[in-house]
Amino acid sequence: MTTTLKPYLNAVRATLQASMCLQHFDSRVVERHNKPEVEVKKSKELLLTPVVISRNENERVLIEGSVNSIRISIAIKQADDLEKILCHKFMRFMMMRADNFVILRRKPIKDYDISFLITNTHTELMYRQKLVDFIISFMEDIDKEISDMKLSVNSRGRTCAEEFFKQF
Amino acid sequence: MANLTRLPPVVIDNGTGYTKMGFSTNSEPQFIIPSAIAVKEGVGVKPNRGLDDLDFYIGDEAMNAPGYSVKYPIRHGIVNDWDLMEKYWEQCIFKYLKCEPEDHYFLLTEPPLNTPENREYTAEIMFESFNVPGLYIAVQAVLALAASWTSKSVLEPNLTGVVIDSGDGVTHVIPVADGYVIGSCIKHIPISGRDITYFVQGLLKDREVGIPPEQSLETAKAIKEQYCYVCPDIVKEFTKYDKEPNKWFKKYEGINNITKQIYSVDVGYERFLGPEVFFHPEFSNPDYTESLSYIVDDVIQNCPIDTRRNLYKNIVLSGGSTMFKDFDKRLKLEIKRTVDDRLKQSAELSNNRLKPQPIDVNVVSHHMQRYAVWFGGSLLASTSEFYEKSHTKAEYYEKGPSICRHNAVFGVMA
Amino acid sequence: MDRFRMILLEVHNRAIYEALCLRFEAAVKNQKPESTKLIIADFDGIIYHLSNPNDDRTKLCLSILLHFYKDLKEHGADELLKREYGSYLIDTPEADYSVSLLFDLTNIPEDWKDLAMKASLLKRNCFASVFEKYFEFQRTGETGHKTAVIHYRSDETLFVRALEDRVTVIFSTTFKGEDDIILGKVFMQEFSETRRKYQQAPQVLFSYKNPPAELNDTNAIVGENRGYVTFVLQPRHITKQASDNTINMISMFRNYLHYHLKCSKAHMHQRMRSKTNDFLKVLNRAKPESKTKPEDRKNIHGKIMRQTP
Repeated sequence: MTTTLKPYLNAVRATLQASMCLQHFDSRVVERHNKPEVEVKKSKELLLTPVVISRNENERVLIEGSVNSIRISIAIKQADDLEKILCHKFMRFMMMRADNFVILRRKPIKDYDISFLITNTHTELMYRQKLVDFIISFMEDIDKEISDMKLSVNSRGRTCAEEFFKQF
Repeated sequence: MANLTRLPPVVIDNGTGYTKMGFSTNSEPQFIIPSAIAVKEGVGVKPNRGLDDLDFYIGDEAMNAPGYSVKYPIRHGIVNDWDLMEKYWEQCIFKYLKCEPEDHYFLLTEPPLNTPENREYTAEIMFESFNVPGLYIAVQAVLALAASWTSKSVLEPNLTGVVIDSGDGVTHVIPVADGYVIGSCIKHIPISGRDITYFVQGLLKDREVGIPPEQSLETAKAIKEQYCYVCPDIVKEFTKYDKEPNKWFKKYEGINNITKQIYSVDVGYERFLGPEVFFHPEFSNPDYTESLSYIVDDVIQNCPIDTRRNLYKNIVLSGGSTMFKDFDKRLKLEIKRTVDDRLKQSAELSNNRLKPQPIDVNVVSHHMQRYAVWFGGSLLASTSEFYEKSHTKAEYYEKGPSICRHNAVFGVMA
Repeated sequence: MDRFRMILLEVHNRAIYEALCLRFEAAVKNQKPESTKLIIADFDGIIYHLSNPNDDRTKLCLSILLHFYKDLKEHGADELLKREYGSYLIDTPEADYSVSLLFDLTNIPEDWKDLAMKASLLKRNCFASVFEKYFEFQRTGETGHKTAVIHYRSDETLFVRALEDRVTVIFSTTFKGEDDIILGKVFMQEFSETRRKYQQAPQVLFSYKNPPAELNDTNAIVGENRGYVTFVLQPRHITKQASDNTINMISMFRNYLHYHLKCSKAHMHQRMRSKTNDFLKVLNRAKPESKTKPEDRKNIHGKIMRQTP
């Protein structure tokens, strides 16, 4: 499995780097507004074809590009029920703190677990390369964290049971 | 729970120094323990094995747990370490109150000017970790107002008033209008119970020689709690003491911890000089000279003009350091004087053409003052309205934690 | 680590213990008794009421309300309580309550701490009756009795049955919320697996959704969020010496399980908090550092205004 991780992440990284060329673009609908076109989806010609990079059935990334914003949605590996609720809990926990994660979207888009929205303002204020690094390191860490959490639940259950049985 | 009569809601008041917790409808909290938690240093947040994170103590047990380091998850009334706070609640519920959180509604308290994010974090812990069926987060000052309804001098329950909350560390003066705190007008005074104890200790040190040095603070505290009161006028009080010393001077007897011998201390002028610190702060703190009554008046004068009369009418005391006898009378007297002077002045300025309506000043004192906040919570949680105003678990899962940002005021007929 | 304190739950009720100690101590020291009126809850929907009957401050009445007391009564709870509390137990309990103990504050024994402890075990002792009775059945070989059914919570039930060579205790428990269902499953799995390492402990079986076969003749509920835990108690667990401990452990099991489910979730929160902070640090590396400081502009009152990017 791990052999496929590297090419997967590399592909995501390359795609992100390529799609991170964002520029300021005035809204065509509302005067003096600047809206992330990938969200409003009002003008077809401003949108790029979305790219899906998938490692297997469960793990995939959707990258939707546009003239002034890109949206990255990640589906995280969930092998069983426990991983599913852990992932769900964790993502909700992060999204509740979306204020701090400037680029985090407060809701994931359908069929994905978490979405990021990067606009031209973000790329002007922050280093593009480091933003890409963040997405990649997030993807690397999240799987590990979820499986660690799963282990910890199991081991807590075991210790709990041990302590209980020791009393007899 | 269909076939159960409803279980009493749980009321937990997490203060900076002490946590008061118990079941609603009771008149006193079941447990008062320090808001301290002792954890093993070096155990990170990620013990992958077992239950290492359950290796901690809270409350009094935390204070004397060797090999652990004591931490305070609450600073200045606001939670600053959510990990510790979550553990603290865990123990409060399961070990102290011994209740299944799934069965009880919860009323928690927050200081004025708590952030809405903190309320969300609280809700997240309560609903997700503990599965509570309902939660209400109340502002401490509002609960203190609610507690004052037990006092005879309060004719009709209302949620407008000034709360003077004085504990061991700091004194706050908090104006509340219709259940909402007027945040911009809150004032803090660096005078509180601890300063009075130090002041009494200083007086005793100069005069009494029999007190063992290591017990001097303890003695001062005991004397403060047993004998101190507030007098209407210091000069008169001094002459009163000098005329009839036998009647006014008291004797305090303590036991030396080491030799087990009884020592006795004469208690004299400090009986009224101690609490006097509130009205003449320069006694104990040369840098600070504004008296409590001045601050209260100032706070009210800063408030919106249409609330001021009602605020003067309902000045409520809360916290252990407001328990001195006649504290309310003296405060009332002083504020009344300031207010009347002001009215007189404005009458004079108009050459007596304008006759201002006199302002009613009322300071409310009651039996539940010491745990006023907790008691107010207990009182409100025992009303049926509490269940309507609480945020429920279903609501939380439908709309998210943001529902807890706002907690509707209730308890009075609107 | 002090296992009894942190991991296992205490059997006695701390609030009752402390409230009684306070009043007994005052009584022993001949202080004027204060009026008392306390309502205290415990696990399993139990309510205690501590009060002065007829406003007589020299008397203290501790009443307990168990909604399932009639179930327990069938199994000799009254006799057991009589044995444990003797003259403190009063014949007609306070209205609305199941059992009442009465203490005379003018006549408190020297060992009042023990008395307070004993009183704070009231709930445990109520529960004990059914266990003791069935343990006794097993010991004497009376196996024909029907299964005891105790509805210890409104939607959770306890079944006790004595067989020739064992006593089985079956709990049904409800998990609230999706998270708890799944966590509960994991925990129960661990319980039945870990048991193998501890041969002295009773065998534990669990089943999900459907009640175990033993309960076919009862009206045990089938449901998505229900779990059934079966303890198979061997004769060695129910000897006179061991039975007290067994009762303590078994009667606290449900709360023990739910307590640890909640601790697990609390621990998950801790992990998530720390990981979220890690992620945030990585993201903040993308922000040019010099940007943050000069943006602090002061407003007319000298307060710093911070602009959000």
